[in-house]
Amino acid sequence: MTFRIFSLGLLGTFLWPWLLIIVVPYATMQRIERVEFNEEDDGRTGVYAPARPGRVADGAKVYAANGCYACHTQLIRPTYAGSDVWRDDWAGMKKTESNEETRRETTVYDYDGESFAQIGLTRTGPDLSNIGRRVESYVKGTDTTDEEWFLMHLYNPRGGFKYWSACPSGPQFFDVKKHYGQGNGGGLAVQAPEGYEVLPSDEVRALVSYLISLRKDDTVPYSLNYRADKKRAIEQ
Amino acid sequence: MATDSDSIQHADPDLRPAIDRSLRHPVMFFFTSAAAWLAVALVLGIIASAKSHAPEFMGNIGWLLYGKSQAAHLNTLVYGWGCQAAFGIIIWLMARLSRKECRNPGTILVAGHVWNFAVLFGVIGILSGQGTGVPWMEFPSAVWPVLLISYVFIMVGSVVQFRCKEGGHTYISQWYLLGAIVWFPWVYATSNLLIFTFDGHPLMDAAINSWFKSTFILLFFVPVGVGAAYYLAPKVTGRPVHSYSLAQMGFWALAVIGPWTGMQKLTGAPIPQFLPYVGAAATVLFFIPAVTVAVNILKTVSGHNTTISASPTLRFMIAGIIGLLVLGSIGVCLNFPSSIKYAQFSFAGYGYEILAMYGFFSMCAFATMYFVVPRITRREWLSRRFIRWHFYLSIYGMSTIVICTIGGGLLQGAAQEYWNMPWSDAATRGYAYGWGTTVSWLFILFANIFFLLHLLLMWARLGRRSQHPTLLSKHTSESPHGPEGDIDEIQAANA
Ligand code: HEC
Repeated sequence: MTFRIFSLGLLGTFLWPWLLIIVVPYATMQRIERVEFNEEDDGRTGVYAPARPGRVADGAKVYAANGCYACHTQLIRPTYAGSDVWRDDWAGMKKTESNEETRRETTVYDYDGESFAQIGLTRTGPDLSNIGRRVESYVKGTDTTDEEWFLMHLYNPRGGFKYWSACPSGPQFFDVKKHYGQGNGGGLAVQAPEGYEVLPSDEVRALVSYLISLRKDDTVPYSLNYRADKKRAIEQ
Repeated sequence: MATDSDSIQHADPDLRPAIDRSLRHPVMFFFTSAAAWLAVALVLGIIASAKSHAPEFMGNIGWLLYGKSQAAHLNTLVYGWGCQAAFGIIIWLMARLSRKECRNPGTILVAGHVWNFAVLFGVIGILSGQGTGVPWMEFPSAVWPVLLISYVFIMVGSVVQFRCKEGGHTYISQWYLLGAIVWFPWVYATSNLLIFTFDGHPLMDAAINSWFKSTFILLFFVPVGVGAAYYLAPKVTGRPVHSYSLAQMGFWALAVIGPWTGMQKLTGAPIPQFLPYVGAAATVLFFIPAVTVAVNILKTVSGHNTTISASPTLRFMIAGIIGLLVLGSIGVCLNFPSSIKYAQFSFAGYGYEILAMYGFFSMCAFATMYFVVPRITRREWLSRRFIRWHFYLSIYGMSTIVICTIGGGLLQGAAQEYWNMPWSDAATRGYAYGWGTTVSWLFILFANIFFLLHLLLMWARLGRRSQHPTLLSKHTSESPHGPEGDIDEIQAANA
């Protein structure tokens, strides 16, 4: 084998996969088009653009920098690849008297507003694709707001009955500050040393805002809906 | 060809010591700083692993949060230890095999220092919460161009040496090493540019990231480890490589298969459907080059039982090659269509990476270091006991980690799939195996404290002054370091 043949061989064997699985799909996905609703299938028109209010970009950075992806995924796989759709409240909410059936797989538009899709490395903890909606259902009928629920969870995940949780508590997210009189407001409802209160940092507020934005309860266009029992609008 | 290399050989009998002398400082610098980073990586690994089953362990130290310590652990393991060990191996082997002295040890040293500072900066970045959150690329994004540039300065000398060597023959190790030298920057630059610099779709960034992890292992660490083994096996036993055509086949199989691997991590994600399938198929096919290499090397050393039990180099190398075989087989088990969903989000993925980085690559790297360091320092290793401890603790630790992460990981993955059982089942299933992993990391840490100490003594030139190499058994008939000839002579004598 001469050096010439070797170099050509090296170039050839690497260049093809590099083009076919990296460069071309990258360029294609970069220019992916929005799906539109149409009258026949969906009963309405317009562009499907899932709204994600809140500090998504900021919060995603905090999520990334703290390595939440080491234990949490954000991917609802189709049924051929896993049973995610059936697990309670992961893929959306099941149909009950009070809510519609919203379970669905992850679509390409679910990561809008983020620079990197946090698919995640392991499922040491549960999938978070729908955590915003899930927590909404946790706090329903209590006087906690979802933001408070998240803050309490991040302050101490092992409160309540979840002694088995491996979710790390995030002391770096909270400042323990001296308070005067009634306090500054916004302190967490946890036991703090006498005269002190626990205040969430700006960072953790962004993170919580991001987590709240993770939800799968919107209506997707007919063509993106992979449910077996889906119906076109004109059939209904 | 035989006469060709013979004449060069006899023309310059002092060449080998001269090459070793020219490379002493850069190679020792890479080996010692790599070993130091390995110790750091192991400490971080123990902390992270402990946190995965005992979350309150060091729970009030925010910068050691599981996600951060785990990321820092893997990044120091890969860039601090793995890459630097590989650099030392590449520059030494390329110089020896091209029969050229190193002309730019100063440049390499400076670039090596830059590399170390960049890694240090990156790790501090991760722990202080500036990490990018992209697995294996968590260093703040200012770090990667620095690493890439210093890489170029470290490697350029070896390529030049290869291009202006005399004599036409190229030994199989050189193909592997040249492959690694070219593949790494291609993979690394592509991934970093597409993920951090250009504005791509978030999902495609994630896909490229898993391609990056996989190709980094299979097209950098694997060829460097295999290249070293193809040098050491014939060299120490004094016997030519079992089959040269098998060796070539193994190389091209790796070159053809390696670049397609990785994206199976995104099975079920809304990316073009063929990507995960191709990734899974290629990772299964990686079994072919792995077996080819393993058979060839093991055939080369088989029958030399006294040498194997006496020579630290051979022992570590064989352990590494067995690690490669296991890696190939586990790649098959984890990437079958029916098993992928169990492996995809369990500890098994981590187990695969650790098996590649420690069970295979590090063992081959240790083998090379046990061979090279006495030659460049002109001192022999001090303690046979240290070497033994290093070996046995590594083997025990590594086997347990593989069983815990991959076996335990598959059970964990199965629990995740039982969708009608409560989630706490799946979440707690892994804890016992997590304990196992933590304890095994402790073993490996002890092993490498012995190694680091030993290496530092050698670096300080406190090794034994002796004509006799340090062997693991007292009475041996064959010289366990093999005849002091060039690899080509061994090859040619039997051609
Ligand atoms: C060591 C692995 C680990 C890491 C790292 C981790 N978690 Fe968790 N997380 C878990 C486990 C296990 C659970 C399930 C037990 C529970 O609900 O507390 C969980 C639960 C959660 C829940 C509640 C989910 C539900 O369905 O009720 C949220 C929200 C959460 N984690 C957020 C985070 C965030 C944000 C981070 C990053 C700062 C993070 N986690 C990092 C392991 C982890």
